[in-house]
Amino acid sequence: MMAGAGPGVSRRRAILALDSATAACSAAVWRNGAVAARRFAVPGRGHAELLIPMIQAVMAESGLAYRDLDSIAATVGPGTFTGLRIGLAAARGLAMAAGLPLIGVTTLEAVAAGVAASLRAGRTTVVALDARRGQVYAQAFDTALGPLSAPAALEPAAVPTLAPGRPVVLVGTGASLVAAHFEAARRAPGDGLPDAAVVAALAVGRAASEATEVAPFYLRDPGATPPDVTG
Amino acid sequence: MLVLGIETSCDETAAAVVEGSGRVRSNIVLSQLDEHRPYGGVVPEIAARGHVLHLDRLIIRAMAEASLDFADLDGVAATAGPGLIGGLMVGLTTAKAIAAVHELPLIAVNHLEAHALTPRLGQSLAFPYLLLLISGGHCQFLMVEDVGAYRRLGTTLDDALGEAFDKAARMMGLPYPGGPAIEDAARSGDADRFDLPRPMAGRPGCDFSFSGLKTAVRKTITDLPGSPPRARDVADLCASFQAAVADVLEDRLGHAAAAFHGAHGRGGALVVAGGVAANRYLRQRLAASAARFDLGLVAPAPALCTDNAAIVAWAGVERLRHGFTDPLDVAARPRWPLDPEAKPAIGAGVKA
Repeated sequence: MMAGAGPGVSRRRAILALDSATAACSAAVWRNGAVAARRFAVPGRGHAELLIPMIQAVMAESGLAYRDLDSIAATVGPGTFTGLRIGLAAARGLAMAAGLPLIGVTTLEAVAAGVAASLRAGRTTVVALDARRGQVYAQAFDTALGPLSAPAALEPAAVPTLAPGRPVVLVGTGASLVAAHFEAARRAPGDGLPDAAVVAALAVGRAASEATEVAPFYLRDPGATPPDVTG
Repeated sequence: MLVLGIETSCDETAAAVVEGSGRVRSNIVLSQLDEHRPYGGVVPEIAARGHVLHLDRLIIRAMAEASLDFADLDGVAATAGPGLIGGLMVGLTTAKAIAAVHELPLIAVNHLEAHALTPRLGQSLAFPYLLLLISGGHCQFLMVEDVGAYRRLGTTLDDALGEAFDKAARMMGLPYPGGPAIEDAARSGDADRFDLPRPMAGRPGCDFSFSGLKTAVRKTITDLPGSPPRARDVADLCASFQAAVADVLEDRLGHAAAAFHGAHGRGGALVVAGGVAANRYLRQRLAASAARFDLGLVAPAPALCTDNAAIVAWAGVERLRHGFTDPLDVAARPRWPLDPEAKPAIGAGVKA
């Protein structure tokens, strides 16, 4: 199903995937080449309370113990600063506790991979996630989900420059912000949120890393300024 | 009993393993001071970013130094508040993940309770005792009556004491953090040179206020020759500032001791905890003040006064013994008063 997943690889792997990088919060177990259990919610807030119980629920439903897994997968961002830290703290904590490696997937890849292959065929997939402050986190992908641009925080009007000259399918929570700037763009159905089930499927074909090396991908600096000294 | 403790409520990332006997098997603290120094204070987003990058490595080190596997633990304790929410979530989520994998009890620890129970770590101190918690985030008197049973006698109405030190230091051009800088400079200073106010002194109750003292420091600096002020003047001002703080603490302690003795009888212990309790001048002055009010001073080692995870693990031990554990959906609490009956102090916000 996924680019890069060799035959046989997906059948052997058992992966726990999670995402809390945006408004959504989800967990999924991948086993024997398919999603064995999935939970998905759009809580807006409260990811830190929801995520671990969700993970416990998919593990219980899959019938797997943590020692049966061969890796953890998680979205690394971009997204809300707090949300992606919750996801990575959980993923790195689980990986450490279970002695597993970690596979980091960007939210932009995860949202692009959520678009049906039939809709991506012959088109450039442009992901735009609402980044607040009048910007979107955006990236363009080819039909096989190869990146055509680097992930970037952009003004909506700048997004069409990522995909010149080909038909476009637009996806993501920021799609409505950028759609008007395209001469013509197909809108993918659905809410354009990352989904742990898709993250798991993407992770199947990828090499895992030492969990302590998988860092949040913020795409923005902390926005701190030295204080005024009047106290 | 073996408990892993995790601390991420402010700008220290820390992990420790403590035994039920009070023996500290490992205690690792990574300070982010260098990252925050250019800003003259803790920047929450920078702190949270640091915690998520370093916490698991520190836990791995703490477990290795203790020669333990996660399966050997009896519980995982993490600071769940009060503090900076971004950091709290990182520590608490990591603790939940470990607890989930190894089916261990989770203990969501109140950071103030960790400070409050520190004098029982490695030594025997029976309840009840009087606690003066003086840190960058707090300035309170509490009666510690049992694990989970605290009565607040007084709190700052504006700045925490550590905050007052930081702000005064910044006004004098001293480096961040201000507490150690003021303590060092004061050593050669004349405490009688500047007549600074003793806010709240002579008034009933045990509350504190430091904004008037801060204003007086600023006015004194403005009136001094030279900009930045000369080292001699700074030393004298630091010494005068510390003397004013010690006088205020003594005055307030008189009222807190009376309340404590009224509730629990004569004698007993005064415990000073929190980062400002590492200040040696204040420790000396507090020892004398405590004796004056029929209390014995108990001051934990300075390394246990500043933020660390051994005290969180120890609070975990104490709570686990009482069967106080928490579910995996427990939320971090940026504001979490130890005494739920205590009235909020409007000007102090989460500090009360």
